Amino acid sequence: MALARVERLSFAYPDGGPALREISLELRAGEVVALLGPSGSGKSTFLRALAGLVPHFHGGRFSGRVEVAGLDTRSARPSELAGTLGTLFQDPGDQVVFTRVEAEVAFGLENLGTPPLEIPGRAAAALAAIGAGELAGRRVAELSGGELQRVCLASVLALEPRLLLLDEPTSQLDPDGAANAIDLARSSGAAVVVSEQRPERVLEACDRVLFLEEGRLVLDAPLEEAFARLPPAWQPREAELPVAEPRGEPVCRLEGVSFGYEPDQLVLQCRSFEACRGEIVAVVGPNGSGKTTLAKLATGLLEPAAGRVVRRGRACYLSQDPGRYLVAERADEEVALAVGGDLPRARRALGQLGLSAQAGRHPRDLSSGERERLALAAVLVAEPDLLVLDEPTRGVDPERKDELAELLRRQSPSRATVVVTNDRVFAAAVADRAVSTAPEREVVLA
Amino acid sequence: MSPAPAAALLAGLVAAALLADRTASVGAIAALLFLVCLRAPARRRLYLAGAIGSGLAVVLVTPFVETIGSHVLWSGPTVPVLGQLDVTSEELRNGLFQGLRLTAVALAFSAYALLLDHDRLVQAAGFARRSVLAIALATRLVPTLERDAAGLVEALRGRGVEVSGLRGRARLLTPLLAGSLERALNLAEAMEARGYGRPGATRAPRDRWGLRDRLAPLAGALAVVLGVLWL
Repeated sequence: MALARVERLSFAYPDGGPALREISLELRAGEVVALLGPSGSGKSTFLRALAGLVPHFHGGRFSGRVEVAGLDTRSARPSELAGTLGTLFQDPGDQVVFTRVEAEVAFGLENLGTPPLEIPGRAAAALAAIGAGELAGRRVAELSGGELQRVCLASVLALEPRLLLLDEPTSQLDPDGAANAIDLARSSGAAVVVSEQRPERVLEACDRVLFLEEGRLVLDAPLEEAFARLPPAWQPREAELPVAEPRGEPVCRLEGVSFGYEPDQLVLQCRSFEACRGEIVAVVGPNGSGKTTLAKLATGLLEPAAGRVVRRGRACYLSQDPGRYLVAERADEEVALAVGGDLPRARRALGQLGLSAQAGRHPRDLSSGERERLALAAVLVAEPDLLVLDEPTRGVDPERKDELAELLRRQSPSRATVVVTNDRVFAAAVADRAVSTAPEREVVLA
Repeated sequence: MSPAPAAALLAGLVAAALLADRTASVGAIAALLFLVCLRAPARRRLYLAGAIGSGLAVVLVTPFVETIGSHVLWSGPTVPVLGQLDVTSEELRNGLFQGLRLTAVALAFSAYALLLDHDRLVQAAGFARRSVLAIALATRLVPTLERDAAGLVEALRGRGVEVSGLRGRARLLTPLLAGSLERALNLAEAMEARGYGRPGATRAPRDRWGLRDRLAPLAGALAVVLGVLWL
């Protein structure tokens, strides 16, 4: 018997065009389903429809029927469906209620009426299962993006739902953490629907693949059949990180640098790191190993506690969080901030990233994938001598990633480019060489 | 001390500061709360500056907008709407009193925001849990905005745009407000998806109260009585 049934589901947000069109499918207990599709194709909306958040929370025009465990989502509120299903949203920072990890994981269990004496044990078990047991007593504000994502996943898994809805659950996790998260979701016994922009992370573990395009379900097939029918960019790819020596004129050099946010807590020690004009360097390593710190030191956003950073020319840094590139009222004005308000130049940069049509829109009206590209345009426009991109492919679909890699390669002769990333496929595609911050928090050649 | 009794004690001190009618008494309560705030490990500067700054503003403005007393210390020009500007010793005293009152209330809030574990406070709430959670989330707004502002400034610096001066920082107000509204919506959605608002919710077991925890609400109540009768 089907755990969830979707019949001719169509939906449009209150002020938008159709987000979902005539989707029909069934989800069976225990199956793991990969939900793929380009940015803005309706993946997150589809997950929200399964969770009952569409239409209850968002409003809009809803037609068709969604039934989960026998409950019609039009009559059952999302809070009534909670527990039967668990939802993990895209941005972990926006779904945290409490300030401490253990209270955060316990929150859902309390809402579902779990007997009080069971709550601490189940919360601790969920954290341990996701490899975050040591985070239990920590403050949420102190966690890295990857750690926070694991805590949010533990919060959902603690509910032991029958249907798990995961919206890009590994976007901030390193490859090992991502594999662990997907394995854990699979072994929970729940039916799992995972939306992903890094197909290689989910395709190996899934039974079935759904592919959305402009709100339509264009592929619903078992894994083997899906491999043959998926667009080339969505096929899993080998990721072999290139090993090479630095070459060319050094634009940035870190020598004997160390850094800690607290005096007694060293985050990074770097014997030597160099980025030269004409090369693209990928910085990889596990969550919390100091990749972002290295990026900020290289661009001068942080000053080292010891050692020396030498830079030549202008340096630009792209933050992990695209929400930080929403200062202006229009997308082109946002991009123009870095070039003294030069709007034609800003529009050219938007065009390079496929956002020409969005130039006049408010940055907050863009989808998450579009915001990522807007943020990229906001730094690329400056044509810096040193360009440091921190997780530039978060929320970006494979086709756009290929385009980004091509763009960076094309522009690489004029600058030194450093790409901090957990996306090894992208790193392999774009980089001339890779360095790792693992495992002893000391930058070494990969 | 557990957060619930500590919150009760702070509430008692606020009530005492509002009920007392002697400047020295209110000043003593404000000084006590100031010392408590100094125990906060981090971020206290912003809160202390806000609390003392708002109190000072009241001290400075009150003599010009009030018209009480007959002992004129300074006579100024006549201003439309406000009338003649003058400062009397009674107005100065009242300004100081009201300023200290506001400072005491703001310092009590600062102590609540900086020193109390809001998670445990929400979990300890035996009734009105929704209201306590709403207050805890609202309290988090200040540090969250602080973090967001730092993030925006860092992203701008990362593009070579320096944010300086009042005008530069004022430009961040709109995105900060819009960002916090967006975050509030996302959080509300995530809370509903995790069953918030469903009947039959339970609570994780609470810590047992020690002697100090039991004494703190009594001390808060005593402060209120003292405020009414003697301070």
